[in-house]
Amino acid sequence: MSEPLILARGLEKRFGAVRAIRGLDLEVRAGSTLAVIGPNGAGKSTLLRLLSGLTRPSAGVLRVGRGGGDRRSRRREVGLIAHSSFLYPALTARENLILAARLHGVANPAERADALLEEQELSQVAERKAGGFSRGMSQRLSIARGLVHDPEILLLDEPFSGLDPRATSRLAERLGERRTVQRTLVLATHDLARAAELADQILLLVRGESVALPAREGRDAAALERHYREAVG
Amino acid sequence: MPLSPPDRVIPTLHRATAIALSACAIAYGYLVVNAPVDSEQGVVQKILYLHVPCAMAAYLGFLLTAIGGGLYLWKREERFDRFAASAAEVGAFFCALVLVTGPIWGKGTWGSWWSWDLRLTVTLLLFLVYLSYLLLRSFTEGGDRKARFAAIYGIAGLLVIPLNYFAIDLAGGRSIHPENLEGGSLGAGMALPFAAGILTAIVAFSHLLLGRIDIARLRAQLAERDAEREMRGGGDCA
Amino acid sequence: MNVFLAVLWKDLLIEWRSRDRLVAMGIFAVLVVIVLYFAAAPGLGSEARAPGLLWVAYLFASVLGLNRAFALELENEALSGLALAPADRGWIFLGKAAASLLLLLIVQAGAALVFALAFEVAIAPVALPFAAIAFLGALGLCAVGTLFAAIAVRTTFREVMLPLLLLPLSVPVILGSVRATNALLLDGSLPWAATRLLLVTDAVFLIVSFVSFEYVLDD
Repeated sequence: MSEPLILARGLEKRFGAVRAIRGLDLEVRAGSTLAVIGPNGAGKSTLLRLLSGLTRPSAGVLRVGRGGGDRRSRRREVGLIAHSSFLYPALTARENLILAARLHGVANPAERADALLEEQELSQVAERKAGGFSRGMSQRLSIARGLVHDPEILLLDEPFSGLDPRATSRLAERLGERRTVQRTLVLATHDLARAAELADQILLLVRGESVALPAREGRDAAALERHYREAVG
Repeated sequence: MPLSPPDRVIPTLHRATAIALSACAIAYGYLVVNAPVDSEQGVVQKILYLHVPCAMAAYLGFLLTAIGGGLYLWKREERFDRFAASAAEVGAFFCALVLVTGPIWGKGTWGSWWSWDLRLTVTLLLFLVYLSYLLLRSFTEGGDRKARFAAIYGIAGLLVIPLNYFAIDLAGGRSIHPENLEGGSLGAGMALPFAAGILTAIVAFSHLLLGRIDIARLRAQLAERDAEREMRGGGDCA
Repeated sequence: MNVFLAVLWKDLLIEWRSRDRLVAMGIFAVLVVIVLYFAAAPGLGSEARAPGLLWVAYLFASVLGLNRAFALELENEALSGLALAPADRGWIFLGKAAASLLLLLIVQAGAALVFALAFEVAIAPVALPFAAIAFLGALGLCAVGTLFAAIAVRTTFREVMLPLLLLPLSVPVILGSVRATNALLLDGSLPWAATRLLLVTDAVFLIVSFVSFEYVLDD
């Protein structure tokens, strides 16, 4: 039984007097996919930010990745694709990716940028400023940015929102592919169907706490929806 | 709601310092009133017995603010931030006293309220740093962020004090501060009131600091209790 | 080191695209010089005050530029994107400070020209030492200014917060620079004491800011 790649014990995050995450225990094995579901304000985004190392826990234990405990080496192994795109509107798509590559110490930033642009089907607009992108294009560029350093652990915060059905299914496909390539995914989403389809493990967050779900029978979306409604009300 | 032992320490110390302060203040007041009147400067000179101890408290305050901030950045424990913030408020108060008593002495002795004297100017700058520190705290949202930002500013502000001293000295801040005039030695019968003043200032500072920390601590507990209640209460109605 | 260059390149590239920061700072600095010219009463040792006025213009221009340096990081939470880089965050600080410094140096040159004309001060004979002092002063301002701008931009009173934080701490830089500039322009002498002060202040500010930046981005 290998060590879990992501381990949390009694994880807490406080913002002033508000406890956004409370007493959370979590284990994610390498190569598996965790879907985090829950109502708005449950703390999904906060959890992902904690896992990425952007935010520091207020209490509890959190170990992510294979490197030492410090958050700096964690950032090497983790890619975050969040609500905010982290893109500079005044820079072109290509420049944004080259910047991200250089920030993450990727060799041959320009080549990597071109490769990612092609993968996300953005090569046509490579030289267009990111400020002029549509929501869907922004999303795809932001995904490319998150993948720039080929992280072993990928954190996605509602990646399907803003995508048309074709882009959604293509992204789901690619995420499914990543699973078979032994990447670890943590996916926060409202899309219960996708969650059921992609996840090996499901975490239901309500008001910062983990709520137990009955054991899953296969990848049944309808069952998941039922359980969700029962738990959340 | 019984208070746990740590919760009792601060209020107890606060009360203890109140008693100590009363004793010190009485002794101090007596010594100042009975101190010899300076032949050159007259009765006005006695305000220095207040001015100098307050100055020490003001600088001590900022040192504590910076230390508290540094400890917070290291350990991330809220109590260090509360300590830093309280020290800043109390220190700012003493700093204001310095800036009020200084000109009074100046007017009484030189006839001018402000003369860009080196030490007074550096203290004025310290006061401005205090104010900016307090404003930074009130305009930053989020407990951890506020504490971090304040800690950084507190440490930067502390380091700049010696730099300011050299800078204003360079720019020709006039050295008409009393010590420089009299060649640095206190006249006879002045040592005791000064010592009493310094002791009283330290006790007064501690008393006010402990009181302020206590208030901050209680506020934090209250806020947490409110936040919990809100979260629980809201959920049941979903 | 890579991160430093990447951030510097980014800031300069973005600035090159719109040049709005440079233009705003430049026009503002020139305006301040001109207004101060009218405001400073002739006589009353106005010659001795003149270099101080130039540094007031520099200080105001730097505040303007530093505020904008981080305003551009707010969109799309770009600053968090930088924070995700697996590097010492001090390098991010250096990149942004260096970019602000370069822009400020350009503005300083332009404002100095206008200043020399308006106040009829001959800078040319001491141009090199003058530039050196201007550089040291700007370095101090940009060092501690970048740190505080990063802080100020995440408060609820963004524009006012930066000058509030910066001005009390800029006194050693301003005094040192003014003193040095005075010595150069009026006496023609080399201002060693003032330069020493500037060097020490710059070193302190750079080190403190480099180390503290980790905590600024630490959320």
